[in-house]
Amino acid sequence: MWRFFAGKGAQYLLVLVLTIALNFVLPRMMPGSPLVFLAGEDVGFLTPEQRTQLYALYGLDQPQWRQFATYVANLARGELGYSFQRGRPIAAMIGERLPWTLLLVGISLALATLAGAALGAIAAWRRGSVYDLGTLGVAMFFESVPSFWLGMILIAVFAAGLGWFPIFGAGTAGVALSGWPLLLDRARHLVLPLVTLTCITVPGTFLIMRYSMLSVLGERYITTARAKGVAERAVLRRHAVRNALLPVSTVFMLNLGFIVGGATVIETVFSYPGIGRLLYEAVLNRDYPVIQGTFFIITISVIAANIVSDLLYPLIDPRVRQR
Amino acid sequence: MTVVTAALPQAPMRRRFSLGAVGWTGVLLLVVLTAAAVFAPTLSPYDPEDTVADPFQAPSRAHPLGTNDVGQDILSELIFGARISLTIGFLAAAIAIGIGTVVGLVAGFLGGWVDVVLMRAVDLVLVIPFLPLMILLAAYLGPSFWNIIIVIGILVWARPARVIRAQVLSVKSLDYIEAALALGSRTARVIVRHVLPAVLPLALAQFILAASNAILIEASLSFLGLGDPTAKSWGSVLYYAQVRNAFISGAWVWWVLPPGFLITAATLGFAFVGYSLEEIFNPKMRARHGPGAG
Amino acid sequence: MRTLFRAAVVLVLMLAVALPSPGQAPAQVPTLRMAITRDEGSLNPYTYQTGYPGWNLMTLVYEPLFTPDADNIPQPWLVQRYTVSQDGKTWQFTLRPGLRWHDGRPFTADDVKFTYEYVRRHAHSRWTSQVRGIDSIDVAGPTGLTIRLSAPSSGFAAQPLADLPILPKHIWESVTDPRRFNDMIGSGPYKVAEMREGQFYRLVANDTYFAGRPKVREIILPIIRDATVTFTALKAGEIDTTVRPLSPELVAEFERVAGMKVVRGAGYASTILQFNLEHPQLKDVRLRRAIANAINTRLMVRLLLLGYGVVGSPGYIHPDSPFYNKAVTFNASKTKAVQLLNEAGYVDRNNDGIRDASDGTPLRFTLLTLAGNPIRIRGADLIRTWLRDVGIDARVVAQEDASIISQVWPDFDVCKGRKFDMAVFGWSAPVMNRATVLRDLFHSDCRFGTINIGGYKNAEVDRLGGELAVAIAPEKQKQILFEMQKVIAAEVPVHVLFYQDGIYAYRADKHTAWVYQKGQGIVNKLSFIDPPRR
Repeated sequence: MWRFFAGKGAQYLLVLVLTIALNFVLPRMMPGSPLVFLAGEDVGFLTPEQRTQLYALYGLDQPQWRQFATYVANLARGELGYSFQRGRPIAAMIGERLPWTLLLVGISLALATLAGAALGAIAAWRRGSVYDLGTLGVAMFFESVPSFWLGMILIAVFAAGLGWFPIFGAGTAGVALSGWPLLLDRARHLVLPLVTLTCITVPGTFLIMRYSMLSVLGERYITTARAKGVAERAVLRRHAVRNALLPVSTVFMLNLGFIVGGATVIETVFSYPGIGRLLYEAVLNRDYPVIQGTFFIITISVIAANIVSDLLYPLIDPRVRQR
Repeated sequence: MTVVTAALPQAPMRRRFSLGAVGWTGVLLLVVLTAAAVFAPTLSPYDPEDTVADPFQAPSRAHPLGTNDVGQDILSELIFGARISLTIGFLAAAIAIGIGTVVGLVAGFLGGWVDVVLMRAVDLVLVIPFLPLMILLAAYLGPSFWNIIIVIGILVWARPARVIRAQVLSVKSLDYIEAALALGSRTARVIVRHVLPAVLPLALAQFILAASNAILIEASLSFLGLGDPTAKSWGSVLYYAQVRNAFISGAWVWWVLPPGFLITAATLGFAFVGYSLEEIFNPKMRARHGPGAG
Repeated sequence: MRTLFRAAVVLVLMLAVALPSPGQAPAQVPTLRMAITRDEGSLNPYTYQTGYPGWNLMTLVYEPLFTPDADNIPQPWLVQRYTVSQDGKTWQFTLRPGLRWHDGRPFTADDVKFTYEYVRRHAHSRWTSQVRGIDSIDVAGPTGLTIRLSAPSSGFAAQPLADLPILPKHIWESVTDPRRFNDMIGSGPYKVAEMREGQFYRLVANDTYFAGRPKVREIILPIIRDATVTFTALKAGEIDTTVRPLSPELVAEFERVAGMKVVRGAGYASTILQFNLEHPQLKDVRLRRAIANAINTRLMVRLLLLGYGVVGSPGYIHPDSPFYNKAVTFNASKTKAVQLLNEAGYVDRNNDGIRDASDGTPLRFTLLTLAGNPIRIRGADLIRTWLRDVGIDARVVAQEDASIISQVWPDFDVCKGRKFDMAVFGWSAPVMNRATVLRDLFHSDCRFGTINIGGYKNAEVDRLGGELAVAIAPEKQKQILFEMQKVIAAEVPVHVLFYQDGIYAYRADKHTAWVYQKGQGIVNKLSFIDPPRR
C-alpha cells in the first residue's frame, strides 16, 4: 500500500517537474520577441537603451538558467508573477476566470456523468433494441462532432435565430443585478455553452457505462440472481449498476482533472470568460507568465484529480481494497 | 470529445454489432469519402482554386452549395477538401501509430527499466492537459500542413502505445515466442518476426481510431486560427465561413453545415471501423465479452 | 449582395452619412453598449493595450493637450492659447483655467511638465521617442508652459501634443514601475467606474468636465473576441455598436436591419505588397514594376472588399489625404508585366514554366502573410495565381503575427535587418497621418526610416525626407511629399494594394451623434464630447 503510493507519488512529482520545465521552455521557443507584445508596433521608435531597459524590467535580459531559477523559486512561494500585458498579478487573473470555468465544466461534467451512466445502463440492459442502437448512434455522432461547430450552430439557431438565449459572455455586461434576476441572467448565459459541452462529454461516459454494464451483465452472479427470480429492476439496481459504475467513476475522476483546461474551444466560441480562453489569449499575445501560470494551474488540477482518484479508488472498488 | 478521448481506457463497443451494422456503416462512409478524394478532379464541377463566380452567392443550379468569399465553388472545395482532410488524418495517425507501436513493442517486450521509463513517458503525455498543449504546440510550430500533422502525431501516440504494450505482454507469454527465445533467437528478430505480426491488427485498429481523432483535431485547430489557412481542408472551409460571418448572413446553412457534417462523417466512419476492429483483434476485450466470462 | 457587387469601385471621398450637427445639445444618451475586441488592461497611459481602440478609449480618461479634429488636424483642447516662435523651436502654452482631475485636485502646468519628463524616464514604446526632441520645459504659474525643442519638428503638434495624455503628478510621482500601476484617475470626460477582467468595462460621464456634459451618460464596453459573435450581438440588439469595422459582406445585410445605421468612410489603413529590397532579384526595379503590373488591384478591391475600398496609390498616400499627389498614377497591365520581364531578360531558360534571371536563378519567392487575417490570405493567394500567370512562382506562407514580425521586422527594429522575400503587410491608419510618413517609410537610415522594413535606399528620398522632418508650413510639407510620391511610384519599393474603407454599424435608436474622423472611424473623443469653446 505505502509502496504503491510512494511509486505514484514519484510519478506525479516527475510529471510536475516535467510540466514546469516544459512550461518554461516552450513559451521561450516560440517565434517572435516578447518585446513585440510589451510595446506593440511602436517598438520601432525605441532607442536601443530603452529596449534594454524594457528587457531588464521583465527579466528577459537574464541568462536562461537564472530566469528559470527565478521562475521555480517564485512558483514555490505560490507566486505566479505578473502578466506582461496587463501588469496584473496572474494569480488574481486566474482567480477571476477560474469560477466561470468551474461553473461551466463542473455542472457539465456532473450532468454528463449522470446522463451518460443512466443512458448507458439502460442501453446495455436493452441491448440490441432500437433504443440501444439509437442512443449508441447518437452518442457516436456527438463524439464525432466538432465541438465548435456544434456551438456555433446552437448560437445561430437558438441565440441569433430564435433569440431564446444570449449570444455571448457569462452575464449581461455592466448591469448591476442581484438576487433572482442575477441568478437568472447567469443561468441564461450558461445554457448554450453548457448544452454544447455536455453533448460532447456524454458519449464518453455513455459508451463506458454501456460497455462495462454489458460485461457485468454477462457475469455469473447476475445470471444467478436472475435465475433466483429476483425482480429484474432490483437486480439491475443492486448488482449490475453498482459494479458497472466503477469504470465510470474512473473516467469521472480523470475528467475531473481536465475540468480546468478542457473547455477552451467552447469558451472561445461563446466568449465565456474562463481559464481555457485565458490561456488561448495568452498564447496569441505571447504573454509568457500568463501562459506558464495557466498551464501550471491546469496541470496541477490534473495531478490533484489523479491523486484523489487513486485515494478514492480503493474505497469504491472492494477488489482493490482486499489486495 | 476532447475531454474524454484521452481518458477512455478501452473501446467500448459490443461485439454483436461489431462488423455487422456498425463496422460496415463505417466502411461505407470511408469508402464514399475516399472515393470522393480520389476522383475529386472528375467529380467536382470546378477547380476549387478558381474564382468562378461572384463571391458570397447563395446556392444555385450552377453552384449547388453557393460560392465562398472569393467566388470559388463551395461544393468543389469540399470534394477536394476530402483529399486534404483524409491525408492529414492518415498521416498524423501514421506518425502516432509509428511512435506508439515502437514504444509499445519495446516497452512490452524488453520490460524492466525500459518499460518503466517508457510507460512513465506515456503517463506523462496522458496527464498533460491535451488541448492546451495542442494550442501551445500549434502556436509554436506555426500553421502549415506538415506542422499540423506533426503536432497531432506527437500528441496522440500515448494511448496506442499503452494498448499495444498490453497486447505485447500477452503475446510474449505465448508458447512459440517463449520457444523462439529459448532457442536463442535475437530479440530484435523475435520482435519483428513474431511479436510484430501478432500486434499489427490491433495497431491497425488503433491507427484508424487515431485518424478519427486527427481529423477532428485538425478542424479544431483550424477553427482557432491555428491551422493552415492555405490548405483547402474541411476545417479551413469552416474557418473562412466563420471569419466571413456565414453565421450572420444565413450562408451557414450551405457553407457551414456541409463541411461540419463531412468532418463528422469521416470521424464517425473511422471510429466505427476502429472500434469494430479493436473489438475483433483485442484479446482482452474478447475475453471480457465472452459468454459467461468473469 | 449581387447589386453591391455590380456596383463599380467607387472612391468614397465623402462621408457616407451626414452626421447631425452639434448645434443644439441633444439629450444625453443614458447608456451605450459598444463591444471591444479584447481586454485593454487598465485604461491608463502605461497599461492600455492597443493603438486602436485602446488609445482612443484611454484618451477619454486621460487627455493630451491637443486633440485631432475630424480632419485629423491637431487642435488645442486643454490649451487656451499657444504660440510658436519663428524658428519653430519654442512653443508657449496657456492652459485653460479651472481644469480638474477626477479626484478634484487642480490640473496644472506642473502636471504637464511632470508627464513629459516622466515618459522620458520610464520607457514607453509610444511616447518616449516623441519627447526626445525636447530641450527644456519651463512652468510659469499654474497655466503657463514653455517647451523648447532642439530642432523644429513638423509633427510636434500631432505627436506628442495631441497624442501623449497628461498624468496627475500627485498620483504618479511616487510610481516607479508604471506598467504594474493600475490607477485610473485622469482628467477626461469619462471615468472608469468598473472593470471586469475579460468581460467588460463601464465608463461613466464626468459631470464636472470643463467642456460640458458628455453625450453619453454611461458607456459599457463588453469584450467580445470573436467577430461573428460581435456582429450577431449587434444585429440582435444586445450591443449598440462595436469598435470593429463591419465586414464588407455584412453591409447589405445590416442596412436592411430596422433601426441599424451603417456609416462608411475612407480608411487610411493600407494593405501593401512589401518587397525585401535587399533580395538579390527583388532589388531590381524592373522586376518589381513587372510584379506590380501583374497584380489586378481593382479586382482585389471588388472581390475581397466587395467594392468597399480604394485601389492603392502608387505613392502610398491615400487619395483623401490633403497630401495626395493625384498626378502620380499607375495602371496595371498583365501585357506590360510580361513585356517588362522579357525586356529585363527574365525568361524561362529551363522550360519549367518559371522565368529565370540571367544567372539561371529561378524567380521563386515566398510570400508571407498574416494567418489571422483572411482578407490578406486570400489577397496573397490571388497574387500567387496572377504571378503564376506571368511565370513567377510565389509560395504563400501564412503565419501568425509574431512569426511574421520576426522575419519582416525583427524586434520591430529596422536596424536589425530582415529575412523574407515578399509579404502582404499593412500599416495602420495613424501612419498616414504622420507628418513624416514617407520619411518614416522609406528613409535609408534606420534611425529615421523607422518603418522602412524593406530596407529601401534612395538618395533623393533621403534628402527629401530630411527636409520634410523640419518643414513646418503645410504648403512646404505638401510640396516635398508630392515630390516623394513621384519617386516612390517610379521605384515601387512597396506596391500598395488597397485601402479598406472604414464601415461602422450602430443602433440609430441609441447614440447618433457619432463623428467620423477621416480615415479613422467613429471611435474617437469627438463622438462623445463636443470640442470646448475657444
